Amino acid sequence: MTAVIIIIGVLILIAVLMYNSLIGKKNQVENIFAGVDAVLKKRFDLIPNLVASVERYMEHEKSTLEKVTALRAEAMKPGISNDQKIALDAKLTAALGSITVAMEAYPDLKANENVMHLQRSLNEIEEQISAARRAYNQSVTDLNNAIEMFPTNLMAGWMNLSRRAVFEITVAERQNVNVSHLFSRP
Amino acid sequence: MKSTSELTDFYYKELYPSLKELEETRKRIVSQLQWYGGMGIVVFALAALWMGKNFGLFHPLMMAVTIGFVALASITYRFMTQGYARDFKARVITPLIGAIDPLLLYNPDFMISRYLFERSNLFNHSIDRYSGNDYVKGSIDGTAIEFSDVHAEYQTRDSKGRTQWHTLFRGLFLVAEFNKHFKSKTVILPDQAEKSFGSLIGGWLQSINFSRDDLIRLDDPEFEKHFVVYGNDPIEARYILSHSMMKRLLDFQKKVSHPLFVSFVHNHIHVAIGTGKDLFEPAVFTSLLDYKQAMEYVNTLRNTIGLVEELKLNEKLWSKE
Repeated sequence: MTAVIIIIGVLILIAVLMYNSLIGKKNQVENIFAGVDAVLKKRFDLIPNLVASVERYMEHEKSTLEKVTALRAEAMKPGISNDQKIALDAKLTAALGSITVAMEAYPDLKANENVMHLQRSLNEIEEQISAARRAYNQSVTDLNNAIEMFPTNLMAGWMNLSRRAVFEITVAERQNVNVSHLFSRP
Repeated sequence: MKSTSELTDFYYKELYPSLKELEETRKRIVSQLQWYGGMGIVVFALAALWMGKNFGLFHPLMMAVTIGFVALASITYRFMTQGYARDFKARVITPLIGAIDPLLLYNPDFMISRYLFERSNLFNHSIDRYSGNDYVKGSIDGTAIEFSDVHAEYQTRDSKGRTQWHTLFRGLFLVAEFNKHFKSKTVILPDQAEKSFGSLIGGWLQSINFSRDDLIRLDDPEFEKHFVVYGNDPIEARYILSHSMMKRLLDFQKKVSHPLFVSFVHNHIHVAIGTGKDLFEPAVFTSLLDYKQAMEYVNTLRNTIGLVEELKLNEKLWSKE
């Protein structure tokens, strides 16, 4: 009889530990996502300024600038899901990257102190975003591992936890900058 | 900053007259030491013989005499080499540091403050005795840096009430301004657990280390193999430890080949290199003109001061300019 009680006790203990570790991982993901959100917001605040200052110079990049503004507006909408935010962030990063590359072709822009200042703060925020993304990806990997590995997968199935998406490096980020393309610009 | 080969040239060319004089002193000290040492051994042997006859070889008095002789020998050694060591630091180490950067300050008797050592959070144990020497302070490329030899010890009492001293850390300790702003604490330690128990059990052991902040797993497998990282902010830890920074720390670890402890606290980087010995001390039993010996002085100084360039601490973010 006592043996049965001990076995049941141990099983309950294991279940509690598994449950708590899963909750801990889930909360960690949410906690770090809040951090990601904060740095993304910092970048959103910078975008209108940047667009306003470079608009006059960058005639050829009008469509990209408009795209950036539109993406920002979309990402700022209340009530969008985390996965949507991640997807929008990837697009925005790519668009901002192409603006940065295009700026090289405008000597007037590089002489403008205000623009250079914005550019440098953008770079600094970009580094913070990259750090936040890496932290988020690690916490998501921990959670996803727990959701898929035995025996925590049984508990996770019962708790209705599902896999989360990680930030992926966009194709545009992975590509090297095409230097010859830069020089052949009008 | 001058390269290692330029500094080696400086050592052999500019410092040659001083080295030659010091070499004479060294030779004299060695012959004196041999003479005293020989005499000491004879006296000790006679005393032991006499005592062995009268009290037996394992008498407590025998122990006391042995300890007395060892103490006397070390005091004599220190007394005889003291002046030579001071001369060496004034005439070799000081100009060598001046050659690396003329604005660096050097004080052979001073050490980096205990407050900075404790602030680093690298060693969680309380410290009962803190000493050090060879303090260097200055700025390289606008980045403030200071370092010195440090010997930190703690005390324990065994069941019989005898106190024992244990070394917590002995080696080089360096503090430099970091090029990014941060508010959190991040501590990087040599990875013992994963090396001895493998990544699964070792990783689990690391994660339940209660005396540290949360374990931070980083996305560089090579770095993870050599180091374990604890911190209280997973995002800032990755902001500090960018991929390039992890690579540079790994390269530095390969260069120093001693246990490397690094922490980022209070907008500063703290680096402790566990050499286990006192650096910048003059060689007594090998020649100062010996190439290996010379390279040790030059390399230690060059690598330590060169850390600012190595880790690119001088490439400041615009907001820190």
